[in-house]
Amino acid sequence: MMIRLILILLAVPAVVLPLLSLGYIFVQAAPWFSVTVLLGDAQQHSMISSGLVPQIMGSLLLMGLACALAFPAALSLALFDMIYANASQRRVLAAALQLLQGIPPIVYGLCALVVLVHLFHWGISLVSGALVLAVVILPLLTENIMHALQRIAPEQTEAAKNLGLSAWHIVVRVWLPVAWSDILTGVLLAMARALSETAPILFTATVFSGVSLPDSIWSPVSSLQTHIFYLAQEASNKQAMGVAWVSAALLLLLVLGLSVVAWWLRQRRLGA
Amino acid sequence: MNSVERCDVLNAPDVVAFEHGLACHGVSLCLGEQQVLQEVDVVLPNRGVTCLIGPSGAGKSSLLRCITGLHETWTGDIHIEGQSVRHWQGGVDALRRQVGLIAQKPTVFPTTIEQNVLFGLSRKEKKSLGREGVQHCLQQAALWDEVAHRLDDAATDLSLGQQQRLCLARALALKPSMLLLDEPTASLDPRSKASIEQSIRALAVVMPVLCVTHDLVQAQRLSQYIMFMCAGRLLESGFSDALFQHPKRLETREFLCWSVCDCSASEEK
Repeated sequence: MMIRLILILLAVPAVVLPLLSLGYIFVQAAPWFSVTVLLGDAQQHSMISSGLVPQIMGSLLLMGLACALAFPAALSLALFDMIYANASQRRVLAAALQLLQGIPPIVYGLCALVVLVHLFHWGISLVSGALVLAVVILPLLTENIMHALQRIAPEQTEAAKNLGLSAWHIVVRVWLPVAWSDILTGVLLAMARALSETAPILFTATVFSGVSLPDSIWSPVSSLQTHIFYLAQEASNKQAMGVAWVSAALLLLLVLGLSVVAWWLRQRRLGA
Repeated sequence: MNSVERCDVLNAPDVVAFEHGLACHGVSLCLGEQQVLQEVDVVLPNRGVTCLIGPSGAGKSSLLRCITGLHETWTGDIHIEGQSVRHWQGGVDALRRQVGLIAQKPTVFPTTIEQNVLFGLSRKEKKSLGREGVQHCLQQAALWDEVAHRLDDAATDLSLGQQQRLCLARALALKPSMLLLDEPTASLDPRSKASIEQSIRALAVVMPVLCVTHDLVQAQRLSQYIMFMCAGRLLESGFSDALFQHPKRLETREFLCWSVCDCSASEEK
Protein backbone atom coordinates (compact mmCIF):
# COMPACT_ATOMS: atom_id res chain seq x y z
CA MET A 1 0.00 0.00 0.00
CA MET A 2 2.82 2.35 0.98
CA ILE A 3 4.79 1.51 -2.16
CA ARG A 4 1.71 2.16 -4.28
CA LEU A 5 1.26 5.57 -2.66
CA ILE A 6 4.90 6.49 -3.24
CA LEU A 7 4.70 5.41 -6.88
CA ILE A 8 1.55 7.49 -7.43
CA LEU A 9 3.08 10.53 -5.73
CA LEU A 10 6.14 10.27 -7.96
CA ALA A 11 4.17 9.53 -11.13
CA VAL A 12 1.53 12.25 -10.81
CA PRO A 13 3.91 15.19 -11.43
CA ALA A 14 5.21 13.48 -14.55
CA VAL A 15 1.72 13.71 -16.02
CA VAL A 16 0.44 16.87 -14.36
CA LEU A 17 3.43 19.18 -15.01
CA PRO A 18 3.43 18.78 -18.84
CA LEU A 19 -0.36 19.20 -18.86
CA LEU A 20 -0.06 22.37 -16.75
CA SER A 21 2.63 23.68 -19.11
CA LEU A 22 0.41 23.00 -22.12
CA GLY A 23 -2.51 24.72 -20.44
CA TYR A 24 -0.35 27.70 -19.46
CA ILE A 25 0.89 28.15 -23.05
CA PHE A 26 -2.64 28.11 -24.47
CA VAL A 27 -3.91 30.47 -21.73
CA GLN A 28 -1.08 32.90 -22.50
CA ALA A 29 -1.60 32.63 -26.26
CA ALA A 30 -5.40 32.85 -26.26
CA PRO A 31 -5.68 36.68 -25.92
CA TRP A 32 -3.26 37.17 -28.83
CA PHE A 33 -4.88 34.78 -31.29
CA SER A 34 -6.20 36.89 -34.16
CA VAL A 35 -6.23 36.95 -37.93
CA THR A 36 -3.77 39.86 -37.83
CA VAL A 37 -1.25 37.94 -35.75
CA LEU A 38 -1.59 34.90 -37.99
CA LEU A 39 -1.71 36.59 -41.41
CA GLY A 40 0.09 39.83 -40.56
CA ASP A 41 -0.69 43.52 -40.75
CA ALA A 42 -0.10 44.98 -44.22
CA GLN A 43 0.32 48.46 -42.74
CA GLN A 44 3.30 47.52 -40.61
CA HIS A 45 6.54 45.98 -41.75
CA SER A 46 8.19 44.71 -38.56
CA MET A 47 8.74 40.98 -38.16
CA ILE A 48 6.52 40.95 -35.08
CA SER A 49 3.51 42.08 -37.05
CA SER A 50 4.19 40.40 -40.37
CA GLY A 51 2.23 37.27 -39.58
CA LEU A 52 3.18 33.68 -38.89
CA VAL A 53 2.50 32.09 -42.29
CA PRO A 54 6.19 32.13 -43.39
CA GLN A 55 7.19 30.60 -40.06
CA ILE A 56 4.54 27.86 -40.27
CA MET A 57 5.48 27.10 -43.87
CA GLY A 58 9.19 27.18 -43.02
CA SER A 59 8.72 24.70 -40.19
CA LEU A 60 6.63 22.40 -42.38
CA LEU A 61 9.12 22.61 -45.27
CA LEU A 62 12.06 21.83 -43.00
CA MET A 63 10.16 18.93 -41.45
CA GLY A 64 8.97 17.53 -44.77
CA LEU A 65 12.34 17.80 -46.50
CA ALA A 66 14.15 16.34 -43.48
CA CYS A 67 11.81 13.35 -43.48
CA ALA A 68 12.13 12.93 -47.24
CA LEU A 69 15.92 12.84 -46.86
CA ALA A 70 15.96 10.60 -43.77
CA PHE A 71 13.30 8.08 -44.79
CA PRO A 72 15.17 6.22 -47.59
CA ALA A 73 18.27 5.95 -45.41
CA ALA A 74 16.26 4.81 -42.37
CA LEU A 75 14.30 2.25 -44.42
CA SER A 76 17.50 0.91 -45.97
CA LEU A 77 19.16 0.59 -42.57
CA ALA A 78 16.12 -1.19 -41.12
CA LEU A 79 15.94 -3.58 -44.09
CA PHE A 80 19.67 -4.29 -43.90
CA ASP A 81 19.20 -5.08 -40.21
CA MET A 82 16.28 -7.41 -40.95
CA ILE A 83 17.63 -9.21 -44.01
CA TYR A 84 21.40 -9.24 -44.11
CA ALA A 85 22.84 -8.33 -40.71
CA ASN A 86 24.20 -11.09 -38.51
CA ALA A 87 23.82 -11.02 -34.73
CA SER A 88 26.98 -8.99 -34.07
CA GLN A 89 26.16 -6.47 -36.82
CA ARG A 90 22.71 -6.05 -35.28
CA ARG A 91 24.23 -5.36 -31.88
CA VAL A 92 26.62 -2.78 -33.35
CA LEU A 93 23.81 -1.10 -35.28
CA ALA A 94 21.53 -0.96 -32.21
CA ALA A 95 24.35 0.51 -30.11
CA ALA A 96 25.19 3.07 -32.81
CA LEU A 97 21.56 4.18 -33.08
CA GLN A 98 21.32 4.65 -29.31
CA LEU A 99 24.60 6.57 -29.29
CA LEU A 100 23.45 8.85 -32.12
CA GLN A 101 20.20 9.56 -30.30
CA GLY A 102 22.20 10.64 -27.26
CA ILE A 103 24.18 13.34 -29.12
CA PRO A 104 22.84 16.83 -28.31
CA PRO A 105 21.23 18.36 -31.43
CA ILE A 106 23.21 21.59 -30.96
CA VAL A 107 26.37 19.56 -31.70
CA TYR A 108 24.88 18.47 -35.02
CA GLY A 109 23.99 22.10 -35.67
CA LEU A 110 27.56 23.20 -35.00
CA CYS A 111 29.00 20.52 -37.28
CA ALA A 112 26.54 21.43 -40.02
CA LEU A 113 27.49 25.12 -39.67
CA VAL A 114 31.13 24.27 -40.27
CA VAL A 115 30.68 21.60 -42.94
CA LEU A 116 27.52 22.48 -44.87
CA VAL A 117 27.25 26.23 -44.45
CA HIS A 118 30.93 27.20 -44.65
CA LEU A 119 32.90 24.30 -46.17
CA PHE A 120 30.35 23.29 -48.84
CA HIS A 121 29.17 26.90 -49.25
CA TRP A 122 25.53 25.87 -49.00
CA GLY A 123 24.97 28.91 -46.82
CA ILE A 124 22.13 29.32 -44.36
CA SER A 125 19.49 27.54 -46.37
CA LEU A 126 16.51 25.22 -46.33
CA VAL A 127 18.61 22.31 -47.57
CA SER A 128 21.32 22.79 -44.91
CA GLY A 129 18.70 22.82 -42.16
CA ALA A 130 16.76 19.92 -43.60
CA LEU A 131 19.89 17.80 -43.95
CA VAL A 132 21.01 18.36 -40.38
CA LEU A 133 17.44 17.73 -39.16
CA ALA A 134 17.44 14.51 -41.20
CA VAL A 135 20.59 13.39 -39.41
CA VAL A 136 19.01 14.25 -36.05
CA ILE A 137 15.84 12.22 -36.70
CA LEU A 138 17.55 9.36 -38.57
CA PRO A 139 18.21 7.13 -35.49
CA LEU A 140 14.65 7.57 -34.20
CA LEU A 141 13.14 6.95 -37.64
CA THR A 142 15.33 3.88 -38.20
CA GLU A 143 14.35 2.41 -34.83
CA ASN A 144 10.67 3.09 -35.49
CA ILE A 145 10.85 1.34 -38.89
CA MET A 146 12.83 -1.55 -37.39
CA HIS A 147 10.17 -2.03 -34.71
CA ALA A 148 7.44 -1.90 -37.36
CA LEU A 149 9.18 -4.61 -39.41
CA GLN A 150 9.88 -6.72 -36.34
CA ARG A 151 6.17 -6.76 -35.53
CA ILE A 152 5.39 -8.63 -38.78
CA ALA A 153 4.46 -12.21 -37.93
CA PRO A 154 7.38 -14.51 -38.88
CA GLU A 155 4.83 -16.88 -40.41
CA GLN A 156 4.07 -14.29 -43.09
CA THR A 157 7.73 -14.10 -44.07
CA GLU A 158 8.10 -17.86 -44.03
CA ALA A 159 4.95 -18.34 -46.10
CA ALA A 160 6.38 -15.93 -48.68
CA LYS A 161 9.74 -17.75 -48.64
CA ASN A 162 7.95 -21.05 -49.18
CA LEU A 163 6.47 -19.58 -52.37
CA GLY A 164 10.00 -18.95 -53.64
CA LEU A 165 9.76 -15.16 -53.37
CA SER A 166 13.11 -13.39 -53.31
CA ALA A 167 14.12 -11.12 -50.41
CA TRP A 168 13.24 -8.06 -52.48
CA HIS A 169 9.81 -9.43 -53.38
CA ILE A 170 9.17 -10.30 -49.74
CA VAL A 171 9.96 -6.69 -48.79
CA VAL A 172 7.77 -5.16 -51.49
CA ARG A 173 4.86 -7.61 -51.48
CA VAL A 174 4.69 -8.70 -47.83
CA TRP A 175 6.60 -6.53 -45.38
CA LEU A 176 5.74 -3.04 -46.65
CA PRO A 177 2.01 -3.72 -47.22
CA VAL A 178 1.70 -5.42 -43.82
CA ALA A 179 3.78 -2.89 -41.87
CA TRP A 180 2.88 0.34 -43.67
CA SER A 181 0.65 1.71 -40.91
CA ASP A 182 3.32 1.06 -38.27
CA ILE A 183 5.96 2.61 -40.53
CA LEU A 184 3.73 5.63 -41.09
CA THR A 185 3.27 5.93 -37.32
CA GLY A 186 7.05 5.94 -36.96
CA VAL A 187 7.41 8.56 -39.68
CA LEU A 188 4.81 10.80 -38.01
CA LEU A 189 6.62 10.56 -34.67
CA ALA A 190 9.91 11.41 -36.40
CA MET A 191 8.17 14.37 -38.08
CA ALA A 192 6.99 15.55 -34.68
CA ARG A 193 10.58 15.28 -33.44
CA ALA A 194 11.82 17.27 -36.45
CA LEU A 195 9.22 19.93 -35.75
CA SER A 196 10.37 20.16 -32.13
CA GLU A 197 14.06 20.69 -32.87
CA THR A 198 15.39 24.23 -32.72
CA ALA A 199 19.13 24.03 -32.14
CA PRO A 200 20.18 22.30 -35.40
CA ILE A 201 18.35 24.79 -37.62
CA LEU A 202 19.31 27.86 -35.63
CA PHE A 203 22.76 28.07 -37.28
CA THR A 204 21.97 26.43 -40.58
CA ALA A 205 18.57 27.33 -41.99
CA THR A 206 16.70 30.14 -40.33
CA VAL A 207 16.83 33.90 -40.17
CA PHE A 208 14.62 36.18 -38.12
CA SER A 209 13.64 38.86 -40.59
CA GLY A 210 13.52 39.62 -44.29
CA VAL A 211 12.18 36.20 -45.27
CA SER A 212 8.75 35.32 -46.60
CA LEU A 213 8.63 31.96 -48.37
CA PRO A 214 11.87 30.41 -49.71
CA ASP A 215 12.45 30.70 -53.46
CA SER A 216 14.45 27.50 -53.58
CA ILE A 217 16.07 24.94 -51.32
CA TRP A 218 19.13 27.23 -51.22
CA SER A 219 17.18 30.12 -49.63
CA PRO A 220 17.01 30.71 -45.88
CA VAL A 221 13.70 30.15 -44.15
CA SER A 222 11.96 31.27 -41.02
CA SER A 223 10.50 28.73 -38.62
CA LEU A 224 8.16 28.72 -35.64
CA GLN A 225 10.84 27.23 -33.39
CA THR A 226 13.48 29.85 -34.04
CA HIS A 227 10.85 32.60 -34.23
CA ILE A 228 9.91 31.81 -30.62
CA PHE A 229 13.61 31.89 -29.69
CA TYR A 230 14.16 35.33 -31.24
CA LEU A 231 10.91 36.83 -29.92
CA ALA A 232 11.58 35.57 -26.39
CA GLN A 233 14.71 37.72 -26.37
CA GLU A 234 12.38 40.71 -26.65
CA ALA A 235 10.73 39.85 -23.32
CA SER A 236 10.12 43.52 -22.47
CA ASN A 237 8.02 43.94 -25.61
CA LYS A 238 4.52 42.77 -24.75
CA GLN A 239 3.47 42.27 -28.36
CA ALA A 240 6.59 40.26 -29.14
CA MET A 241 5.86 37.95 -26.20
CA GLY A 242 2.25 37.62 -27.29
CA VAL A 243 3.31 36.54 -30.79
CA ALA A 244 5.84 34.17 -29.19
CA TRP A 245 3.04 32.52 -27.17
CA VAL A 246 0.88 32.20 -30.29
CA SER A 247 3.84 30.68 -32.17
CA ALA A 248 4.39 28.24 -29.31
CA ALA A 249 0.72 27.28 -29.29
CA LEU A 250 0.75 26.72 -33.08
CA LEU A 251 3.90 24.61 -32.84
CA LEU A 252 2.31 22.56 -30.07
CA LEU A 253 -0.84 22.06 -32.13
CA LEU A 254 1.23 20.81 -35.09
CA VAL A 255 3.24 18.40 -32.92
CA LEU A 256 0.14 17.24 -31.05
CA GLY A 257 -1.70 16.76 -34.34
CA LEU A 258 1.07 14.50 -35.69
CA SER A 259 1.25 12.57 -32.42
CA VAL A 260 -2.52 12.08 -32.30
CA VAL A 261 -2.60 10.77 -35.90
CA ALA A 262 0.31 8.43 -35.05
CA TRP A 263 -1.52 7.25 -31.92
CA TRP A 264 -4.75 6.72 -33.89
CA LEU A 265 -2.95 4.65 -36.52
CA ARG A 266 -1.38 2.48 -33.82
CA GLN A 267 -4.71 1.98 -32.06
CA ARG A 268 -6.36 1.07 -35.35
CA ARG A 269 -3.69 -1.54 -36.03
CA LEU A 270 -3.97 -3.01 -32.54
CA GLY A 271 -7.74 -3.11 -32.87
CA ALA A 272 -7.60 -4.81 -36.28
CA MET B 1 21.80 -48.08 -31.84
CA ASN B 2 24.71 -47.48 -34.14
CA SER B 3 23.24 -48.15 -37.53
CA VAL B 4 20.38 -46.34 -39.10
CA GLU B 5 18.04 -48.55 -41.03
CA ARG B 6 17.63 -47.88 -44.70
CA CYS B 7 14.13 -46.90 -45.64
CA ASP B 8 12.09 -50.01 -46.44
CA VAL B 9 10.17 -48.07 -49.04
CA LEU B 10 13.15 -48.75 -51.28
CA ASN B 11 12.18 -52.38 -51.38
CA ALA B 12 8.52 -51.87 -52.09
CA PRO B 13 7.74 -53.88 -55.23
CA ASP B 14 5.32 -51.44 -56.86
CA VAL B 15 7.52 -48.42 -56.49
CA VAL B 16 9.76 -47.57 -59.37
CA ALA B 17 11.96 -44.70 -60.53
CA PHE B 18 13.04 -43.46 -57.14
CA GLU B 19 15.53 -41.19 -58.82
CA HIS B 20 12.59 -38.99 -59.77
CA GLY B 21 11.42 -38.52 -56.19
CA LEU B 22 13.18 -37.29 -53.10
CA ALA B 23 16.37 -38.84 -51.76
CA CYS B 24 18.07 -37.75 -48.55
CA HIS B 25 21.39 -39.37 -47.64
CA GLY B 26 23.06 -38.93 -44.27
CA VAL B 27 21.28 -35.69 -43.50
CA SER B 28 22.34 -34.24 -40.15
CA LEU B 29 21.44 -30.92 -38.60
CA CYS B 30 22.69 -29.12 -35.50
CA LEU B 31 20.81 -26.09 -34.19
CA GLY B 32 22.96 -24.45 -31.55
CA GLU B 33 24.25 -27.31 -29.46
CA GLN B 34 21.31 -29.57 -30.19
CA GLN B 35 21.63 -32.38 -32.70
CA VAL B 36 18.25 -32.20 -34.41
CA LEU B 37 18.84 -34.70 -37.24
CA GLN B 38 21.35 -37.54 -37.25
CA GLU B 39 22.33 -39.27 -40.48
CA VAL B 40 18.79 -39.44 -41.83
CA ASP B 41 18.35 -41.50 -45.00
CA VAL B 42 15.02 -41.08 -46.80
CA VAL B 43 13.95 -42.13 -50.25
CA LEU B 44 10.47 -41.26 -51.44
CA PRO B 45 8.58 -42.81 -54.33
CA ASN B 46 7.73 -40.43 -57.14
CA ARG B 47 4.06 -40.48 -56.28
CA GLY B 48 1.79 -41.40 -53.38
CA VAL B 49 1.48 -40.15 -49.83
CA THR B 50 4.26 -40.88 -47.36
CA CYS B 51 3.54 -39.94 -43.76
CA LEU B 52 6.31 -39.00 -41.38
CA ILE B 53 5.36 -39.81 -37.81
CA GLY B 54 7.14 -39.57 -34.51
CA PRO B 55 7.05 -37.80 -31.18
CA SER B 56 7.44 -34.05 -30.83
CA GLY B 57 11.05 -32.98 -31.23
CA ALA B 58 11.89 -36.01 -33.38
CA GLY B 59 13.10 -33.74 -36.20
CA LYS B 60 10.22 -34.27 -38.65
CA SER B 61 9.57 -30.60 -39.37
CA SER B 62 13.30 -29.87 -39.37
CA LEU B 63 13.77 -32.43 -42.14
CA LEU B 64 11.13 -30.65 -44.25
CA ARG B 65 12.83 -27.33 -43.57
CA CYS B 66 16.19 -28.75 -44.65
CA ILE B 67 14.67 -29.96 -47.91
CA THR B 68 13.36 -26.49 -48.78
CA GLY B 69 16.44 -24.64 -47.58
CA LEU B 70 14.78 -22.95 -44.61
CA HIS B 71 17.53 -24.56 -42.52
CA GLU B 72 20.86 -23.98 -44.19
CA THR B 73 23.39 -25.60 -41.88
CA TRP B 74 22.58 -29.25 -42.55
CA THR B 75 25.12 -31.75 -43.83
CA GLY B 76 24.62 -34.71 -46.15
CA ASP B 77 22.91 -34.90 -49.51
CA ILE B 78 19.37 -34.14 -50.58
CA HIS B 79 18.36 -34.79 -54.16
CA ILE B 80 15.05 -34.03 -55.83
CA GLU B 81 14.47 -35.62 -59.21
CA GLY B 82 18.15 -36.42 -59.26
CA GLN B 83 19.25 -32.81 -58.71
CA SER B 84 21.05 -31.72 -55.56
CA VAL B 85 19.14 -29.06 -53.64
CA ARG B 86 22.45 -27.39 -52.77
CA HIS B 87 23.13 -26.66 -56.42
CA TRP B 88 19.57 -26.15 -57.57
CA GLN B 89 19.27 -24.41 -60.90
CA GLY B 90 17.96 -20.93 -60.18
CA GLY B 91 18.90 -21.05 -56.51
CA VAL B 92 16.92 -21.69 -53.38
CA ASP B 93 13.95 -19.55 -54.51
CA ALA B 94 13.52 -21.76 -57.59
CA LEU B 95 13.78 -24.85 -55.37
CA ARG B 96 11.00 -23.59 -53.11
CA ARG B 97 8.74 -23.02 -56.10
CA GLN B 98 9.34 -26.61 -57.12
CA VAL B 99 8.65 -28.02 -53.64
CA GLY B 100 5.41 -26.79 -52.12
CA LEU B 101 5.72 -26.61 -48.34
CA ILE B 102 2.48 -26.16 -46.38
CA ALA B 103 3.01 -25.16 -42.77
CA GLN B 104 0.96 -26.27 -39.79
CA LYS B 105 -0.49 -22.83 -39.17
CA PRO B 106 -2.35 -21.53 -42.21
CA THR B 107 -0.93 -18.15 -43.17
CA VAL B 108 -2.80 -16.11 -45.73
CA PHE B 109 -1.73 -12.68 -46.90
CA PRO B 110 -3.95 -9.68 -46.17
CA THR B 111 -5.40 -9.47 -49.65
CA THR B 112 -8.20 -11.13 -51.63
CA ILE B 113 -8.70 -14.87 -52.05
CA GLU B 114 -7.77 -14.68 -55.73
CA GLN B 115 -4.67 -12.60 -55.07
CA ASN B 116 -3.58 -15.12 -52.45
CA VAL B 117 -3.71 -17.90 -55.01
CA LEU B 118 -1.63 -15.76 -57.38
CA PHE B 119 0.73 -14.48 -54.68
CA GLY B 120 3.81 -16.49 -55.62
CA LEU B 121 3.55 -15.79 -59.34
CA SER B 122 5.22 -13.15 -61.45
CA ARG B 123 3.07 -10.73 -63.45
CA LYS B 124 3.58 -12.78 -66.60
CA GLU B 125 2.70 -16.03 -64.83
CA LYS B 126 -0.42 -14.45 -63.33
CA LYS B 127 -1.55 -13.43 -66.80
CA SER B 128 -0.99 -16.86 -68.27
CA LEU B 129 -2.69 -18.63 -65.34
CA GLY B 130 -5.81 -16.46 -65.56
CA ARG B 131 -9.13 -16.98 -63.80
CA GLU B 132 -9.40 -20.54 -65.11
CA GLY B 133 -6.06 -21.42 -63.56
CA VAL B 134 -7.12 -19.94 -60.25
CA GLN B 135 -10.31 -22.00 -60.42
CA HIS B 136 -8.30 -25.15 -61.17
CA CYS B 137 -5.97 -24.59 -58.20
CA LEU B 138 -8.91 -23.96 -55.89
CA GLN B 139 -10.64 -27.06 -57.21
CA GLN B 140 -7.53 -29.13 -56.59
CA ALA B 141 -7.49 -27.81 -53.03
CA ALA B 142 -11.22 -28.64 -52.64
CA LEU B 143 -12.05 -25.00 -51.94
CA TRP B 144 -13.64 -23.82 -55.18
CA ASP B 145 -17.24 -24.63 -54.25
CA GLU B 146 -16.97 -22.54 -51.10
CA VAL B 147 -15.32 -19.44 -52.58
CA ALA B 148 -16.40 -19.43 -56.23
CA HIS B 149 -18.62 -16.38 -55.77
CA ARG B 150 -16.36 -14.41 -53.47
CA LEU B 151 -12.88 -14.51 -54.95
CA ASP B 152 -12.54 -10.79 -54.27
CA ASP B 153 -13.29 -11.16 -50.55
CA ALA B 154 -10.53 -10.86 -47.98
CA ALA B 155 -8.73 -14.16 -47.45
CA THR B 156 -8.48 -13.40 -43.75
CA ASP B 157 -12.28 -13.75 -43.49
CA LEU B 158 -12.09 -17.46 -44.33
CA SER B 159 -12.23 -20.12 -41.63
CA LEU B 160 -8.98 -21.80 -40.55
CA GLY B 161 -9.78 -24.90 -42.58
CA GLN B 162 -10.52 -22.82 -45.66
CA GLN B 163 -7.35 -20.79 -45.13
CA GLN B 164 -5.32 -23.99 -45.01
CA ARG B 165 -6.86 -25.14 -48.30
CA LEU B 166 -6.15 -21.69 -49.74
CA CYS B 167 -2.49 -22.14 -48.75
CA LEU B 168 -2.56 -25.45 -50.61
CA ALA B 169 -4.10 -23.78 -53.69
CA ARG B 170 -1.44 -21.04 -53.49
CA ALA B 171 1.32 -23.65 -53.49
CA LEU B 172 -0.34 -25.54 -56.35
CA ALA B 173 -0.46 -22.38 -58.48
CA LEU B 174 3.34 -22.67 -58.71
CA LYS B 175 2.94 -26.14 -60.27
CA PRO B 176 5.25 -27.88 -57.79
CA SER B 177 6.67 -31.31 -58.48
CA MET B 178 6.39 -32.33 -54.82
CA LEU B 179 4.37 -31.40 -51.75
CA LEU B 180 5.68 -31.28 -48.21
CA LEU B 181 2.94 -30.92 -45.60
CA ASP B 182 3.79 -30.08 -41.99
CA GLU B 183 0.81 -31.20 -39.91
CA PRO B 184 -1.60 -29.65 -42.39
CA THR B 185 -4.73 -30.60 -40.50
CA ALA B 186 -3.62 -29.90 -36.93
CA SER B 187 -6.21 -27.76 -35.14
CA LEU B 188 -8.79 -28.19 -37.90
CA ASP B 189 -12.31 -29.54 -37.48
CA PRO B 190 -13.12 -33.04 -38.88
CA ARG B 191 -14.91 -31.66 -41.95
CA SER B 192 -11.99 -29.43 -42.97
CA LYS B 193 -9.64 -32.30 -42.23
CA ALA B 194 -11.62 -34.59 -44.57
CA SER B 195 -11.57 -31.95 -47.34
CA ILE B 196 -7.81 -31.53 -47.12
CA GLU B 197 -7.24 -35.29 -47.01
CA GLN B 198 -9.35 -35.64 -50.13
CA SER B 199 -7.18 -33.06 -51.90
CA ILE B 200 -3.97 -34.71 -50.75
CA ARG B 201 -5.11 -38.09 -52.05
CA ALA B 202 -5.97 -36.62 -55.43
CA LEU B 203 -2.65 -34.76 -55.68
CA ALA B 204 -0.64 -37.81 -54.64
CA VAL B 205 -1.70 -39.51 -57.85
CA VAL B 206 0.55 -37.17 -59.82
CA MET B 207 3.26 -36.13 -57.35
CA PRO B 208 4.99 -37.34 -54.21
CA VAL B 209 3.50 -36.00 -50.98
CA LEU B 210 5.45 -36.13 -47.73
CA CYS B 211 3.13 -35.39 -44.82
CA VAL B 212 4.22 -34.88 -41.21
CA THR B 213 1.44 -35.79 -38.82
CA HIS B 214 0.83 -36.61 -35.19
CA ASP B 215 -2.53 -38.12 -36.04
CA LEU B 216 -1.82 -41.84 -36.37
CA VAL B 217 -5.35 -42.61 -37.55
CA GLN B 218 -4.94 -40.06 -40.29
CA ALA B 219 -1.52 -41.44 -41.20
CA GLN B 220 -3.01 -44.93 -41.54
CA ARG B 221 -5.95 -43.63 -43.53
CA LEU B 222 -3.95 -41.39 -45.84
CA SER B 223 -0.60 -42.92 -46.57
CA GLN B 224 0.76 -45.79 -48.58
CA TYR B 225 4.13 -45.47 -46.85
CA ILE B 226 5.14 -44.56 -43.36
CA MET B 227 8.38 -43.35 -41.85
CA PHE B 228 8.96 -43.23 -38.11
CA MET B 229 11.42 -40.75 -36.67
CA CYS B 230 12.61 -40.41 -33.11
CA ALA B 231 15.31 -38.19 -31.57
CA GLY B 232 16.54 -37.01 -34.94
CA ARG B 233 16.86 -40.49 -36.47
CA LEU B 234 14.79 -42.34 -38.99
CA LEU B 235 14.16 -45.59 -37.14
CA GLU B 236 11.72 -47.48 -39.31
CA SER B 237 9.83 -47.16 -42.55
CA GLY B 238 7.75 -49.24 -44.88
CA PHE B 239 4.28 -49.85 -46.23
CA SER B 240 1.67 -48.31 -44.02
CA ASP B 241 -0.28 -51.50 -43.25
CA ALA B 242 2.83 -53.51 -42.50
CA LEU B 243 4.34 -50.90 -40.22
CA PHE B 244 1.18 -50.34 -38.24
CA GLN B 245 0.46 -54.06 -37.85
CA HIS B 246 3.98 -55.39 -37.39
CA PRO B 247 6.37 -52.67 -36.27
CA LYS B 248 9.89 -54.06 -36.06
CA ARG B 249 11.43 -51.60 -33.63
CA LEU B 250 10.62 -51.41 -29.98
CA GLU B 251 10.47 -47.59 -30.18
CA THR B 252 7.93 -47.78 -33.00
CA ARG B 253 5.80 -50.23 -31.05
CA GLU B 254 5.93 -47.99 -28.01
CA PHE B 255 5.05 -44.92 -30.04
CA LEU B 256 2.17 -46.64 -31.78
CA CYS B 257 0.86 -47.65 -28.38
CA TRP B 258 1.00 -43.98 -27.39
CA SER B 259 3.92 -44.66 -25.11
CA VAL B 260 6.54 -42.11 -24.38
CA CYS B 261 9.42 -42.55 -26.76
CA ASP B 262 12.76 -42.34 -25.11
CA CYS B 263 15.36 -43.53 -27.54
CA SER B 264 18.29 -43.17 -25.22
CA ALA B 265 16.58 -45.38 -22.66
CA SER B 266 15.80 -47.99 -25.29
CA GLU B 267 19.39 -47.87 -26.51
CA GLU B 268 20.55 -48.74 -23.01
CA LYS B 269 18.22 -51.71 -23.00
